[in-house]
Amino acid sequence: MEKNFILAGFGGQGILLAGTILANAFMLDDKNVTWYPCYGAEMRGGTVNCEVVVSDTEVSSVHKKDCDYALVLNQQSFDRFVEHVKIGGTIVANSTLVSETKPRNDINYVFAPMGKLANDLGTSKVTNVVSLGVLSSVVDTISISALKLAIEKVLGEKKKDLLPLNIKALLSGAELIAKV
Amino acid sequence: MQQVFSIPKSMKEDFKYTFCPGCDHGIAIRLLAEVLDELGIQDKAICAASIGCSVFIYDFLNVDSIEAPHGRAAAEATGVKRARPEKVVFTYQGDGDFASIGLAESMHAAFRGERITTLMLNNTTYGMTGGQHGPTTMMGQITTTSPTGRNREYYGYPARMAEQIALADGCAYSARVALDSIPHINDAKKAIKQAFQVQLDGIGLGFVEILSTCPTNWHMTPEQAHERVRNEMVKTFPLGVFKDLSEK
Amino acid sequence: MSKNDKVLIKGNYAIAQAAVNAGCECYFGYPITPQTEIGEYLSGKMQELKRGYVCAESELAAINMVIGAVSTGAKAMTSSSSCAVALMQEALSYAASDELPVVLVNVMRAGPGLGYIYPAQGDYNQSVYGGGNGDYKIVVLAPSTVQECIDLTYRAFYLAHKYRNPVILLADGLLGQMMEPACFGEYPYPEIDNSSWELSGAKNRNSRAIYSCAKDEQKQIEHINHLFEKFELISKNETSWEEFETEDADIILTAFGSMTRNIKAAMKVLREKGLRVGCLRPITLSPFPHQRINQLAKSGKDFVVVEMNMGQMFKDVRYAVNGESKTELINRPVGEWLKVEEIVSAVEKIMEKNYAASV
Repeated sequence: MEKNFILAGFGGQGILLAGTILANAFMLDDKNVTWYPCYGAEMRGGTVNCEVVVSDTEVSSVHKKDCDYALVLNQQSFDRFVEHVKIGGTIVANSTLVSETKPRNDINYVFAPMGKLANDLGTSKVTNVVSLGVLSSVVDTISISALKLAIEKVLGEKKKDLLPLNIKALLSGAELIAKV
Repeated sequence: MQQVFSIPKSMKEDFKYTFCPGCDHGIAIRLLAEVLDELGIQDKAICAASIGCSVFIYDFLNVDSIEAPHGRAAAEATGVKRARPEKVVFTYQGDGDFASIGLAESMHAAFRGERITTLMLNNTTYGMTGGQHGPTTMMGQITTTSPTGRNREYYGYPARMAEQIALADGCAYSARVALDSIPHINDAKKAIKQAFQVQLDGIGLGFVEILSTCPTNWHMTPEQAHERVRNEMVKTFPLGVFKDLSEK
Repeated sequence: MSKNDKVLIKGNYAIAQAAVNAGCECYFGYPITPQTEIGEYLSGKMQELKRGYVCAESELAAINMVIGAVSTGAKAMTSSSSCAVALMQEALSYAASDELPVVLVNVMRAGPGLGYIYPAQGDYNQSVYGGGNGDYKIVVLAPSTVQECIDLTYRAFYLAHKYRNPVILLADGLLGQMMEPACFGEYPYPEIDNSSWELSGAKNRNSRAIYSCAKDEQKQIEHINHLFEKFELISKNETSWEEFETEDADIILTAFGSMTRNIKAAMKVLREKGLRVGCLRPITLSPFPHQRINQLAKSGKDFVVVEMNMGQMFKDVRYAVNGESKTELINRPVGEWLKVEEIVSAVEKIMEKNYAASV
């Protein structure tokens, strides 16, 4: 079983870091995983994205045409990657910045006000971690416990003081859809 | 009977002299060997040889040597020194190698203040390939590639390396010497010694530009060649010490 | 953290840390995307460990600094990418002739010329056949995963010193930039004694000179023969490759570097469709597994080479196959890596064309 995720947003939203946390979480769950950032022409226009592929066996290719899940934090990313979700796949969008339209009827949509929740928690900087919480409530194979460990690992000793806020952002994100 | 003259122990006993008659390489290499002897560093010296007539230095010196591609002697010397800081590392290059194709490596080694010694023989031409125009060719000088003499329009001006290298903050010692007379030869030896001393003291890069002859390509007798050094070259390339940080 | 713990790490950082673990005493480098992280990482690490580090003024200087450092028996390396590795070819020719253990990492980008930073595999020829003058051979290792970036960096240092020969680790932008879980472990190879040839100062022995200039023609002939005899030995001892399901295969997909992953996935899809497809992937591009490929070709297996260039390894595979079976190419010059689906459909087309009569 192999699933791939595209995570996208604008520069500064911490999307590469979100991908790194997600990849670490899969690694901690003993899965095969790859993380690949998109460079070159794709970097222009202010959007940043990375691709995370998780597999029970060796990852077949690091960079694929279409994804099973797209996690998008801004409108530009939504508009672009909604076209790259596989039929039956899911796009998870930050409705604080993305208007709730459904341009295709062969995929699933999850809209959650991630940015607003992050602001309510005190800073929009944790939007990325909130989004991972939301993603974990949508995708069965992402465990909250592994995400917690991954956040701890990525923050490391130097940024340990940020851990409580980030854990709170993660857990709040995981509960966000039920509340919507 | 007292022995008053011998081959320095930093020179090989069985070398064959391969330079042209009247070429100053012989004097320069001997001075270098005497300095290595006197400083007692022959057994921890490593030489980066260059391309040109100077390449055959390892046939003369009883010193571990590595040949560098054309112009890269200062880079190789840097690599040697960074890997083995306790060794005494030097380059022996011609003007084409040091000041033309290797200018970037030479200057940057000086900027970085590598603890190495660099010697450049300036004979105003590419000697080994048969006397072509080079970075130090003097104004008006006829070579095989400046058949009517060096002019401003086609060739621009000669490079004065001793002055240039002295400007680098990492350069601890820079001097220009000549080998045309006994007093100058004595001065040259002092300069070479000092260029090693600043390395040994860890101050920075030591550089000596040695004005030397190429009678074959200058189409001169050895005597005429030395007269040219004495009367003409020194006008473009004045002798002297341009920097000595050890004096401070 | 124990040394066998998995870490999620970028290929470039993996190579850099592996070099540190391998005992690399000096790193010299000049920035170029997509390998710059190697120099960035080592700039801090080498200073912390009091090892040698220089921000070289050019790639020319960097590779020649490596030559200087390894001439003393030290382990040293530089890293660069494609168009800048082109600048180092002269030095590689010298280092091969001088029998110096230079380690060079090439994280490939697109060419020719400046090209661009998107991934490509266009430096197969540059690495395997070299851009330097004269007859010489370089050992070329091609990792396909981040774990192999580590394992083959270790092996690069070992082989370079064991055989006194330059070694290129040929990675690509995809591997350099991606993250994947990997373990460092310990440097697994024995240390090589360089004392018989290294430059250390002529103390209580005759002086040594390392040079490629042989005035005597006969000496030069003997020297080149020696280099090639040495490479024969390397071929015999060190040629390595991986095979998957080749035994019953009609067609064997072949790729190097990170394309390996894609052909393995394509093989699985094709097998599910009932086609007998296998994979062979050279780990050492030089020496190349000619013999094994020839053996498989003799048993009637066709080869399909998949690569991100105009068919550079393809020529080596065809040479190895030597007319015993068919050789086909699936390629794209640069850019987006050939997708599994593209490879699958291309192989199906080839099978249709080649086996139409027998179906």
